[in-house]
Amino acid sequence: MRYLRLYASFLRFSFSRAMEFRLDFGFRIVMDMVWYVVNFLFFWVLYRHTPLLGGWTYDQALVFLGGVFVSDALHMTIFSNNMWWLPFYINKGDLDFYLVRPVSSLFFVSLREFAANSFVNLLMATGVLVWALARYPGPLGAGSIAIFLGCLLAGLFLHYTLNLLFLLPAFWMHTSHGLREIYFSLTETMTRPAGIFTGWVRKVLVTVLPFALIVSFPTRALFEGDRWPVVLHLLGIAAASFVVALGVWRWGVRSYVSASS
Amino acid sequence: MRWAVVRDLLTTEIRRRMSYRADFWLSAFASLAVRLAVVWFIVHAVFAGSRRSGIGGYDAQGMLVYYIAAILVGKLVQTTELEQGISQDIYEGGLTRYLLYPVPYGVVKYVQQLGALGPAAIQLVLFGAWLPFVVGIPRDLTAAGIAMGIGAIVIANLLQFLITFPIQLIAFWADNVWSLMVMHRFASALLGGMLAPLSLFPESAQRILAALPFRYLFAFPVETLLGRVGPAEWAGGMAIGLCWCGIMAMVGRAVWRAGTYQYTGVGI
Repeated sequence: MRYLRLYASFLRFSFSRAMEFRLDFGFRIVMDMVWYVVNFLFFWVLYRHTPLLGGWTYDQALVFLGGVFVSDALHMTIFSNNMWWLPFYINKGDLDFYLVRPVSSLFFVSLREFAANSFVNLLMATGVLVWALARYPGPLGAGSIAIFLGCLLAGLFLHYTLNLLFLLPAFWMHTSHGLREIYFSLTETMTRPAGIFTGWVRKVLVTVLPFALIVSFPTRALFEGDRWPVVLHLLGIAAASFVVALGVWRWGVRSYVSASS
Repeated sequence: MRWAVVRDLLTTEIRRRMSYRADFWLSAFASLAVRLAVVWFIVHAVFAGSRRSGIGGYDAQGMLVYYIAAILVGKLVQTTELEQGISQDIYEGGLTRYLLYPVPYGVVKYVQQLGALGPAAIQLVLFGAWLPFVVGIPRDLTAAGIAMGIGAIVIANLLQFLITFPIQLIAFWADNVWSLMVMHRFASALLGGMLAPLSLFPESAQRILAALPFRYLFAFPVETLLGRVGPAEWAGGMAIGLCWCGIMAMVGRAVWRAGTYQYTGVGI
């Protein structure tokens, strides 16, 4: 309950802060709209020349794309701004502010800022996903859709832990620029159907660097008959990633030496 | 214009860029490897799904070579795009000293962009040298095509600067222009042929795209390098690219004038 009240405070503060920079607020909404349109057109262009991509039809790819948009919007809304600033807090000693609070420092660091402009994009992304599901020609039961949405949330959690894992080395390296660049490059694999990847690359992308799980596996859980191995795989990897991330965070905090006076 | 000033700016920027640490090179290599891997699998997935030997005038190997060339050429075109140097000068008041320089601000910034080509060119050689052994040498590669392609890349680099210059100058009025730059990157990646060869678009769309500036950022230089553009078409493309350079230069000049009228040099 205490954490819920705290998060409500975060939301109030974040919305009022976002309204101070209205032009930037508007620009970021339009930026995401451009990204949605570009991705739509990219898949539309490819599907003009092939009926299947990674084993999925165009209708299935649209549902996948809707899932990508929703997952990205959720991550941008809840976690992205906080993750962006984490290495700076570590390097400048501003992490002290979070460590001395009587709440979980990881909770505070991860959820303090709520991106109000991305929340508007989340509404748009949700609309796209609903549209893609509604126009899908095959049968989609309520149970399947509920499992799909649940798996999307698990994928979001996995996305957050992967983001965290790529930034935590800042505790020791004092810079995260290189790892951040690699992380952003790897998120491109999340926006493409996992079925296109084969061989050892596919194995890596669904285990060690499980970016391909984030949206592709929830989409597979929606369309595949035997979905439970997929669901369990996703949940298992998400849980394992969080355990690792939590361990590295605690280790980092123990190693942390404040730079401030 | 004092060419000695321009020369000194260029060499200073090249030296500054070449002092990057190992993590810059490591991340550049890793990012390129991931992009190439995604492209590899996309191309093979499209051809596997279509069961055709040719799509948009490319076979699988040809399309792969196109994408790889587009990614490498992109490094020479988008050198400083997301570094926000111009908008940061406006926000932090650093623009004031440039107003006193004997060289126009736009020229200073363009010369710095050229200086950033140093590490980009090294990446191109390091990461591109092994490609013929992996994907083979393109069939239509000729010395004339390479020479024309280099000319097209020069225009592409200039055009990219002239498009992003007025976007960053919006910093005179807006508190953050990063999202505008990202919008430009998304749009130019699709409409410029970085995400997919433009020949994959419907013919009506290709005619429109041929008139827009984005094609001359990536697709046109790449197609020229790969020998898919003849001399007459190359001359026509260069003319269109130069026209767009002129148009964007005029837009940039107008925005610059409007912005400097109300600029106040804070933060210095």
